[in-house]
Amino acid sequence: MSSTKSTSLLARLSRSIEIRMLGLALVLGLILSLASEYFLTTNNLLNLLDQSVVIGVVAVGMTFVILTGGIDLSVGSVAGFTGIILGLAMREMPIPAALLLAIACGALIGLLAGVLVAVFGLAPFVVTLGMMAICRSLAYVISGQQSISDVPESLGRLVDSSTLGVPMNVVILIACYAVAWVYLTWAKGGRTIYAIGSNIEAARIAGLAATRYRILVYVICSALSTLSVALIAGQLLSIDPLAGNGMELDAIAAVVIGGASLFGGRGSVIGTLMGVFIMVMIRNGMNLLGISPFWQGTAIGSIIIGAVLIERLMARRTTR
Amino acid sequence: MLTTQGIIKRFGAVTVLDGIDFELQSGEVHALFGANGAGKSTLSKLIAGHLQPNVGQISLNGHACNFRSPREALEAGVAMVMQETSLAPDLPVFENVFLPLYGSKGRAKFSELRLKTSTILAQLGVADEIDPQDRTGDLSAAHRQLVEIARALALNAKVIIFDEPTTSLSPSETDKLFAVMDRLRAEGRAMIFVSHRLEELFTITDRVTVLRDGGVAAHGVRTADLNQAELIRLMIGRDVESVSRDTLPAAEGGGEPVLAVRNLQAGALVRDVSFTLHKGEILGLGGLVGAGRSETLEAIFALRAIQHGEIRFHDKPFRANHPLEAIRAGFGYLAEDRRAQSILPDLSVRENLLVAALSAQRSLWARYERFRERAAQLAIKLDLPPHRLDDESMFSFSGGMQQKVLLMRWLLLEPEVLLLDEPTKGIDIGARTAIYKLLRAVAAEGVSVLVVSSDFQELIDLCDRVVPISDGCSIGAVPAAMLDEEKLLMLAAPRSSMADQRAWIDRMAVKYDAAVFWVIVDGDSLICLAASPDSAATLGFSSGAVSLIAQTRVPQALVQTGGRGVVGETDGTTTLLLRVRNARGHDLGVIGLTFKSDVSPGQVTQLRDEIAEDIAGQGNENILLTF
Repeated sequence: MSSTKSTSLLARLSRSIEIRMLGLALVLGLILSLASEYFLTTNNLLNLLDQSVVIGVVAVGMTFVILTGGIDLSVGSVAGFTGIILGLAMREMPIPAALLLAIACGALIGLLAGVLVAVFGLAPFVVTLGMMAICRSLAYVISGQQSISDVPESLGRLVDSSTLGVPMNVVILIACYAVAWVYLTWAKGGRTIYAIGSNIEAARIAGLAATRYRILVYVICSALSTLSVALIAGQLLSIDPLAGNGMELDAIAAVVIGGASLFGGRGSVIGTLMGVFIMVMIRNGMNLLGISPFWQGTAIGSIIIGAVLIERLMARRTTR
Repeated sequence: MLTTQGIIKRFGAVTVLDGIDFELQSGEVHALFGANGAGKSTLSKLIAGHLQPNVGQISLNGHACNFRSPREALEAGVAMVMQETSLAPDLPVFENVFLPLYGSKGRAKFSELRLKTSTILAQLGVADEIDPQDRTGDLSAAHRQLVEIARALALNAKVIIFDEPTTSLSPSETDKLFAVMDRLRAEGRAMIFVSHRLEELFTITDRVTVLRDGGVAAHGVRTADLNQAELIRLMIGRDVESVSRDTLPAAEGGGEPVLAVRNLQAGALVRDVSFTLHKGEILGLGGLVGAGRSETLEAIFALRAIQHGEIRFHDKPFRANHPLEAIRAGFGYLAEDRRAQSILPDLSVRENLLVAALSAQRSLWARYERFRERAAQLAIKLDLPPHRLDDESMFSFSGGMQQKVLLMRWLLLEPEVLLLDEPTKGIDIGARTAIYKLLRAVAAEGVSVLVVSSDFQELIDLCDRVVPISDGCSIGAVPAAMLDEEKLLMLAAPRSSMADQRAWIDRMAVKYDAAVFWVIVDGDSLICLAASPDSAATLGFSSGAVSLIAQTRVPQALVQTGGRGVVGETDGTTTLLLRVRNARGHDLGVIGLTFKSDVSPGQVTQLRDEIAEDIAGQGNENILLTF
C-alpha cells in the first residue's frame, strides 16, 4: 500500500512525466553544450525555439487527440490543403479574413473526421488516413500543382514582429501551450478528455458528453494544423501544396516522447513541449556536430522507442 | 461410462471443487445443477480436459484418463459444446466442424470434409437449413450451437457436455435442440447438460447431480423423482450463512411512490418489468444471471434503448436520453463491473470520486475544490480514511474500498434514486456490512434505492421488498420478511413458458370475467407466479405473493385436491382449478379461475372443456392441462 504522505518530494516529482522529460531535455542540452560551443549561444537558442514553433503548434492538437485514445494522421495534409486555401484567399480578401477562413476550413475537416470517429464509430487511424489522402490530393487540385509565391509581405511582417523582444511565432507557441495546459488541467472539458481516454465506458456512465468531446479534439487538432501552415507561410512567403508533408509523424513522435499513452488518458502538453524540444535539439545538435542528416531518423527513432520502453518499465514497477 | 472420483480443484487458495464423485452412463442425459459458482462449469472443464484436477481420478469405460488437454479428451471421444464461443465466425461451416482436425497430421481434403459435414448435418436433421459452405458468422445462434454439436459428432464423441446450451436459443430452437439430444441418447451416447433452467432440466434430463459450494448435494437422482421445490432445496441447502438482519436498522419504507416502471421492454432480455419504488425504500430486483435485472437498470439510466413501457418519476413521465439527464434528474447508477464500467484507471482517486460531479455541473471549470469537505465527511461515514482520497490510483485500494469510493461518487450529488448493480460483488464481509449500513442510513434519509444482486440472501437481508424477475418478466413485489432464498428462487427461476402463460392468463380473465392465477403449492403455502390484473380483491393475493393457503380466498381443500380440475364453491364464488403439466408430464403448478359472476356447476364443466379446446387449438406445446 502506497501512502503519499511518506514519499519524498523528489520521488513524487520523478513520478510526473513532465518532470522526467524536462530532465531528459536538460541532460541532452548539457551534452550538446559540452560537445559544441556554439550550442548555448543566444542565436542558436532562438533558432531552436524558432524551429520548435511549427511542429510544436501541431503537437498541441495531437496531444488532445491522443489523450482521448485517438490518433490524427491527417495533420500534415490538412496543413497542405488549408495552406493553399489561405494562399488563394489572401489574393481576394484582407489577411485576417483569409486566416479566419482557412482556420474555419481546417476546423470543418476536423469536424468531419471527429463525427466519423465518435458518431459512426470508425477507427481514428482509418478515418484520418483517408483524410490524409483526400486533403493532400485536394491541395494539388486547387493549387494546380503550383506553389503560391505571392504571399503578401504583411503576413511575413506579422509573423516576424516581436513583443518585448520575443518573436511573434514564439509568442503564439507559448500561448498555445499555456491555454492548452490550463484547459486540460482545470477546465471541465479538459478533465472530460482525460476521462474519455482513460475509460470511455466509465466516462459515459458518469454522464460525461463523450461524443461531443471526441469530436472537439479533432476540430482543435485540424484548426491548429492550419495555424501552423500560416506560420510557415509567414516565414517562407510562399505556400507549397506539399507543405506539412511528414508532419504527422513528427507530431506523434513528440507526443509519445512527452510521455503520453497511445491508449489515451495519460500525457500532458508540457510533456509534449519537452518532446518537441528534444526532437529539435537532436536535429540541431547533429547539424552543429556535422553528423550526416541521414542519421537523424536513427537518433529520433531510438529516443521514441527508449522513451516508451522506460514508461512501460516504470508503469510495471508502480502497479506491482 | 464416465466416472470421477474424489476430484479436488483449487484456484490459488480457493478450493472450487472438493471431492466430487460423479457417474455418467451411456444413453442418458445427466444434468449438472447448482447455483452460480457451485462448480458446474469447472467440473465440465475438468472432464473435457480444459483444466486438470489437483487431486482425483477421471475414468472413461473403466480406464483412468486424466486428460491433459482438450485435444486428448477429443481423441478419447469426450467433447464439450461451448456457448458458441469456440467457432471461427469467418470460416465456412465445414471448416469449423473439422477445425479440431487441423491440429493433427495429414492433409485435409475440402471436398471430403464438405461431404462429411453434410452427412452429419443430415443426422442432426438440419441438412436443409445449414449449408456446409455457409459462413459460420452468418448463422443464427441456434444454428451456430448446432455447428458446435456437429463438431462433437464429427469426432465421433461418445460423451458430449452441453454448457448452458439454451442461453441464446428461442423456445422453438430449444425444442429442436432437445429433439437432437433425444436422437443422440437413442444412439447410446452419454450427455452432460449444464443449465439452471428448471423446466428444461425436467424436460430433457434423466438424472440430476446437484453441486453445492464445491461439493455434491445429490448424486445422480432420477429427475422424475424430483419436483421443483425439492431441487431448489438441494441447490441451496440449509446451511445458508446470513448477515444478521437484527444488526441493521430497519428501513422505514412506505413513503410516496418515487419511481414507477410499467411493462418495461428493452432489448431481448427485458420483456415485461413493472415495479414501484417508494421514497426511502430499498427495493431489490432478484433473478438469475441473464434474467434482465442489470438491463432494467441500464434502461432507466438511458444506457439502453427502451422499446415499450412507461417510467414515471414523481408521477410524471420520465425518459432520459443520456445518462446526464438522468443524473440531473436525481439518479445515480453504480454499474456491475467496477473495472470496466466505473474506474478511470489513469486518474487519481479524487478525480474518480468527482467524475459524476464534474459531469453534473454546468461551469466551464472543473471546480473540484467545492466538494473537498463533503467528500471528507462522507469518507468518515464509510470508514474510509479521508487522506486516502489523495491517493494516486484506485488500484492501491481493495475491492471494498474502491466500491466505497464509487458509491461516494453518487452520494456526493445527493441523489433521489440510487440504482445499484451488484453493490457488494467481490467485496469482503467487513466492507459489505459497512455498505449495508450506509445504504440503510441513506434510505432513512429519504433516498430510494434499487438493488440488483445475485446473492438472494443479501437481497432478503437488505431490501424492504424484492421484485423477482424471471426471464425478463417481473413477478409482483414481495415483502422481504415473507421470503427466504428458496421461495425467492422458486419465483425467479427461469421459465420459458412464462410469457405464453401470462398472455393466456390475461386472455382467459377477459374472456370469462374471472380472476385467473398460476400458483405453485409448496406445503401449506402458495406461491403465485402470475395473476390476472385486478384479481387481488377476489383472490386475497396477487402476482409474486407468497401466502399461506389458509389466508387466501382460494379454498385449501380445492388446491390440495386440485389435481382433477376440481370445481368448487366457497363464499359464493366458483373456482375452477387446472393442473398444468409440460409436454413430458412434469408438474408446473396449478392454474385457477375464480369466476366473478354467478356460474352454475354445469356451466363450469362446459367452460372447462372449452378452455381445454382453446389451449389445444393454440398448438401451444408449453402448456398442457390435465383434468
